[in-house]
Amino acid sequence: MEDTINFNLPKQTHDIFAVMARGNFISSNGSKDGMNRLYDVINNPENFDRLQAYFNVIRYNIERGNNFFYFSKLGEPNSELEKKLERFERYIDIIDLFASMDNKIGIGSRFRPGEISEECNANVRLKQKLQKIPLYRSETLHNKVREICDLMSRDSFLELEDEKSESYKVLDSYSYLLDIINSVAIYEDNSLGGDDTQGLVYN
Amino acid sequence: MSLQVNVKDLLSNLYHNRGVVETLFGQRDQITVNELLSREDISEDQYRKLVSLDILYEYENIVSLNDAVVAMFEDFMEIGEVTPGFINDYINELKRYINFYQDAREIRFLRSIKKFLKRINSTLTREIIKLQKNVDDTYKNESNYRIKLQKLEDYREKRDSIIQFIKKTSEVIDESRAMFNLTNDSELFGIVAALRISLIENLDFLIEIQTDITDFINKIQFQLDVYKKAQQLKEIKDHGALHFKTNFREIVSGINTLKHNGHKTPKTKIPIDFLYSDDGHILCKRVAEKYKITRLMVRGLADKMPGNFKDKGLEQQIKLDTEKLVERFLTQTKANLFEYLIDYKFPKAIGTVTFEDRLSLFVEIAMEYQNQLDFKYRLQYYDYTLGDDVKKRLGYTLILPMKEKSKKQKVN
Repeated sequence: MEDTINFNLPKQTHDIFAVMARGNFISSNGSKDGMNRLYDVINNPENFDRLQAYFNVIRYNIERGNNFFYFSKLGEPNSELEKKLERFERYIDIIDLFASMDNKIGIGSRFRPGEISEECNANVRLKQKLQKIPLYRSETLHNKVREICDLMSRDSFLELEDEKSESYKVLDSYSYLLDIINSVAIYEDNSLGGDDTQGLVYN
Repeated sequence: MSLQVNVKDLLSNLYHNRGVVETLFGQRDQITVNELLSREDISEDQYRKLVSLDILYEYENIVSLNDAVVAMFEDFMEIGEVTPGFINDYINELKRYINFYQDAREIRFLRSIKKFLKRINSTLTREIIKLQKNVDDTYKNESNYRIKLQKLEDYREKRDSIIQFIKKTSEVIDESRAMFNLTNDSELFGIVAALRISLIENLDFLIEIQTDITDFINKIQFQLDVYKKAQQLKEIKDHGALHFKTNFREIVSGINTLKHNGHKTPKTKIPIDFLYSDDGHILCKRVAEKYKITRLMVRGLADKMPGNFKDKGLEQQIKLDTEKLVERFLTQTKANLFEYLIDYKFPKAIGTVTFEDRLSLFVEIAMEYQNQLDFKYRLQYYDYTLGDDVKKRLGYTLILPMKEKSKKQKVN
């Protein structure tokens, strides 16, 4: 308590830490657990500097993205490259699936897993994409989509907005993944040029 | 075609069926005939009547309100589609009346000029508000990308046409300035001045809307581009070339989020003392549920202890003694019940028995064992001191052990 007074920290500091130290993102359009409020608190320039200084002491660094925040660890090497590669390969699979939907799922979109699985059922190409995403214990397409949504929610890219109707919302943190993908450079021009894929996007 | 031309009839019909009208307005183009008829506030006949009056339309089993009614509500609530065309109509009307007035300086034309000037002002503002709302709404809620982009482009065009109309309006005002001055009508001057200010204001709004639209379109475009790239990467990945043809590995290794680097959440251990508390137990229970540990789940919380559980214990102890106490009292003849109790030496196990306790015991025995006791209806007095030097005197009924059978007597 005394510390928060000395540092003049916002009273949500504890909540912010609780969310971000778990590796989750705080997005401006998240509504669960007062997420958007926490975002506003961090986004306030005065608070930001204080929080940054405070967390830096325990080697955490607040990273700012487009309408979201997350923690990185100062002075610790980023480890587990193989695991990381695996996870981001899976993200590519998932984003590729989202990108191939008729109703493209982007930031702020709301959707139900049922919608995706139905569309996958109707479209062989999508069905194949979905089936090839490496996940365990999902027999039906629907369950697989649900598992994907669950996974993405745990990584705080999606939010289960309404449990009854199973409606998900895409959070701002999703743009983190898009940024990563955007920053990957493809070395050489080959047969898989942009023109080919353009057709895929618009269909 | 039998739409009422009578305002009163129209209003009363709408009012009479206001529940239905409200529902139909709220859920436009969604309500089927059966759904509507299942409502309690409308009967089949009433429904037929409304249809025959052209207030309701039925098309492919979907009921909808007359467009004119919907448009009226939307106008008032400043929602609905942006329709800048109206402004153009008003401008043309305005020009027409200005011409009339230039020909024949009659006051009725001036009145129309004022009317249309005012109308242009309010319509412009309303359309811009609607535009703003719709742009926002489209960006946030339209789920289909192509349609979203298309809609935003449409709004951009509508914005351009509104700007055109604003320019046209100010031209008309400028051209007619001399004529306006001639009228020497202060109300007209006021209207024109207000319009001028609002034209400038509205232009500012439109510029802002333009940046919004551009921003939204760019964002969508960015996402589309990234999605294209994602599909490209996916294809490369499916060819097994992701690590060789791209710098994926490099980029991923630079990722510094906690979650993806296996940085564990710092854990603070829970103090054992806390786990023994009620809150701690609830926590344990939750953990047990999560990991399905039945051993922990079975042990439930005990019921809440009553606040006076200590007193109860003591009471029971004394009560156990009461019977013997009474027996002993009955066998002796020296003292009356009160004296006997006051002087009685209770066993140490009970602890100290206060004066008040003895008194309540007296009352208790008097009530419970009245049949075995001889109530003399005489008062005796007992003197005692309370604290320092406060002398008190207590009157009590003389109660003696029963010596011979007598009639039942009631407690006083």
